[in-house]
Amino acid sequence: MTKKRLLEKMELTALNLFFTLLCFVTLIPILYALSVSLNGQNSLLSSSFSFFPSSFTLENYKQVLFGENILTWFQNTVLLAAVTVFLSLLFAVPAAYCFSRRRFTGRKFILKCLVLLNSFPAILSMFAIYRLLRPFGLVNNRFGLILVYTGTMAVFSLWNTKGYFDTIPTEIEEAARMDGASDIQVVWRIVLPLAKPSIITTALQVLIYVWNEYIYATTFLTGEGKYTLAAGLNSLQATEMTGSWPVFAAASITVSLPVLVIFFLCQKYMTSGLTAGGVKG
Amino acid sequence: MKRLVSVLLMIGLLMGLTACGVSQKETANQLTIWHDKEDAVIAALEQALKQAVPELEIVFEKKTSLTDSLKLVGNDPSAAPDLFIFAHDKIGVFAEMGILAPIQPFLEDGALDQFLPMTIQAASYKGTLYQLPLYFETLLFMYNRRYMTEADVPETTEALLAYMEENTGRGRYGFVEQHSTAYYSAAWIHGFGGSIIDENGTPFPDEQAVMDALNYHARFVALMPGETEYSTVNTLFLEGKADSTIGGPWMVPSARAANIDLGIAPMPTIEATGKALAPFSGVQGIHVLKFAAEKKADAVKKLLSALTAPEIGIDLALASGCAPANEECYTDERVAGDELVQAMRTTAQIAVPMPNIPEMDVMWTVVSNLLTNVNLSHKDVAESFVAAKVQAEQLIGAMK
Amino acid sequence: MRNRKTDARKAYLWSSPSLLLIGLMVVFPIVYTAYISLTNMNVYHWFDFTIVGLDNYIRALFVFDSGFLSALLATVLWTVVNMALQLVIAFTLVSLLNVPKLRLRRLYKTLLMFPWAMPGYVSILLWKTGMFNTQFGLLNQWLTKLGLETVRWLSSSVSAFLCCTVVNLWLALPFMIMIMDGAMQSIDRSYFESAILDGASWLERTRYITIPAISPIIAPAVIITVFTTFKQFDVVYLLTQQAGAKTGSGFHTILTYAYENAFITNNYGYSSAISIIIFLLLLVFSARYQMREENR
Repeated sequence: MTKKRLLEKMELTALNLFFTLLCFVTLIPILYALSVSLNGQNSLLSSSFSFFPSSFTLENYKQVLFGENILTWFQNTVLLAAVTVFLSLLFAVPAAYCFSRRRFTGRKFILKCLVLLNSFPAILSMFAIYRLLRPFGLVNNRFGLILVYTGTMAVFSLWNTKGYFDTIPTEIEEAARMDGASDIQVVWRIVLPLAKPSIITTALQVLIYVWNEYIYATTFLTGEGKYTLAAGLNSLQATEMTGSWPVFAAASITVSLPVLVIFFLCQKYMTSGLTAGGVKG
Repeated sequence: MKRLVSVLLMIGLLMGLTACGVSQKETANQLTIWHDKEDAVIAALEQALKQAVPELEIVFEKKTSLTDSLKLVGNDPSAAPDLFIFAHDKIGVFAEMGILAPIQPFLEDGALDQFLPMTIQAASYKGTLYQLPLYFETLLFMYNRRYMTEADVPETTEALLAYMEENTGRGRYGFVEQHSTAYYSAAWIHGFGGSIIDENGTPFPDEQAVMDALNYHARFVALMPGETEYSTVNTLFLEGKADSTIGGPWMVPSARAANIDLGIAPMPTIEATGKALAPFSGVQGIHVLKFAAEKKADAVKKLLSALTAPEIGIDLALASGCAPANEECYTDERVAGDELVQAMRTTAQIAVPMPNIPEMDVMWTVVSNLLTNVNLSHKDVAESFVAAKVQAEQLIGAMK
Repeated sequence: MRNRKTDARKAYLWSSPSLLLIGLMVVFPIVYTAYISLTNMNVYHWFDFTIVGLDNYIRALFVFDSGFLSALLATVLWTVVNMALQLVIAFTLVSLLNVPKLRLRRLYKTLLMFPWAMPGYVSILLWKTGMFNTQFGLLNQWLTKLGLETVRWLSSSVSAFLCCTVVNLWLALPFMIMIMDGAMQSIDRSYFESAILDGASWLERTRYITIPAISPIIAPAVIITVFTTFKQFDVVYLLTQQAGAKTGSGFHTILTYAYENAFITNNYGYSSAISIIIFLLLLVFSARYQMREENR
């Protein structure tokens, strides 16, 4: 083996070692939760903690998966998340394209305002949103919640997508337009495929937001049939007076897993289309 | 174009589907009750009510962050419940907001005669009864029989301190409690005759008493761990590393599950004042919202009358170890044999219900800051107290 | 030839759903909060409040005492430290992750996303009780095993600041990593190829190609993160300032300070006034920053 390849191999090994260690350290709190969830004793703390619990049991996971209405919660969350992601992208992409490609009065001003809107501490917006939803009868209603979620993430969706669109060179689009393509076709067939990484990033961010959001969900939706995963998890939270820590820990982990799976599957779409040589020559 | 149309159609379809979540609750015999209690308690209530008032359709809905939601929808009949079950300390806030209806008009005379006076006091605000008490909770002195024998159980706080000095060290503690949490430390303040706030909204009316309590309590805190939160205290006691503790009835099932030979004793007395440690108590009961009282008066009346019966209290005690508000329940032989329930009834005689006036809301943070300063940051008691009183007055003033 | 007017009309048409939603869900609450700040909405006038003018603002000015000033400075320091660390660490990790031939990169990336996938309040609880707890936390348990003395992690302001930073980074880095990774992917490889042919070192390539190329893409995410860090409430509150579980630390950000001194009074008129004032403060800061950017 040549010296260069040996050096390369050593670098790779060092890198792999580094990342393995890093992942382990990052996951320590999660591993802690995992250990609590596999524990037979109902306590969050113990003086002789080990990552392998002394009284190992899968009871807690059984209870989470079969005892609680986790299927209902899951359905509710998936419904809310899917529609919110869909609407977010549906609204953000055309708007981002316009802000990126067209020059029109008010464009810069609106963009500046959008950024500054983020500086508002939204602690008291619950009331405002309630006042908004009430006249339309959307208070105890899934669609109302979807609108709230989409609106809350709308600024981020717009900004993130637009930022990425800005980096896509316009030559391809101009070529397509000279061939007679309409606006919608240009966006759908050319820009979107190239903007995949940013679309996926935006979609994932919205997904995670809806998945874990429990404040609006618990305030605006009443009735156990409407619980989302986040709301259900919150109701399981062991307070001083009631509840089981291991079940709560098991539920937390179970709730987080689907998102990770989705993230893992999406990874291959997150490499850019530009490197496929779309622009050269 | 076609795609656009199909997309719009899909949105419309989705809207239709998801919009079908609005329920219609219009029958006069249907009552919706919000709560945040455990299933066992609610199941017992549901059962008992099915038998007592079968003609009413009662829907129990578990709602987390109940108080926040009520603040939002309190006067909106389409989104609010008809009644709700909650602790008594928020009735001042809700009464001032104008969403509660007085309970007395729905009850017959004398229906409440057998109720423990402490619970009626807790459920009344400005002379009006706003809650029908169901059961209450208070703190108890608990000890691990394996380490603390009957003879060791302290009758006075001095004895407790002596016990702590002898038995604390090398990772073990004679006594632990959530020393810097307002709810628990109130017991010490009351033991010195002080209080956190009086009915008129004056914070710390007896200043010297509070300072004395803090100074005295600090000697005990010195022998306890630095963490004041529930998990630490609970784990220490359940692992047998602490011989005794002051905790609520919720600790009993977990103690039994951890195979602790649990003993319950009356609260120790403070020699200097002759008073026992008098903890806060929380009274859980049912409240009626104004519009329900108007629109569904009949149903509400039937429900509340049914709830004053001792059988309900007995069912609750048996199902979940709750201490009923109705004194008659305690004579039932099954309840009489429950050590925990009887202990709480005894403590009820000295316990102080949490103040239910709106001003109390801010006092939790004020007292928490005060305790943290004195116990955890070891600042001077007099200075911290003055700062706390100033903060309290500021915050209470800011409420108006 | 494109007609500018139809351009503008079409642009507004296509953007209208997005802008409408933003107007409703983001702008309206601000307007509504401003409206409430002019009323006397509090516990005693909850549903029947009336407009009282600028009373709440006058009263709010008293909140901005020395305590608020130190909270403000602490918040600025908090934001700067967190943002600097986030950018540097995220950039380093992403660069390392993109080394060609690192085959397990997808696995590493997914595992590093875990903190982001778990609900925030659960994570913070795990950190507070599982890691930092003085009696039983993992950190102290390990220290004891190594024969060292236990540390009271959250009970002094400085130590609490560092611990909150660690938790905040733990929670926020996955997002930053994801954004940076997406940005890195968008750089045309041909730039690097020609730079290597010209003999540029890794440092030079980074400075002259990578950073300028990703800056516009990560800019929105960075700006949003700056504001989010500044407005951070959960991490500091749940770790150190929750009433009943306070740890003795004096570290406050402006939101936890405002919470403890105003929001808990349930006086919405007053709290709204404070929110608006904080909002205006941040607006002034960002406006000045933007002006500096434009004058460059």
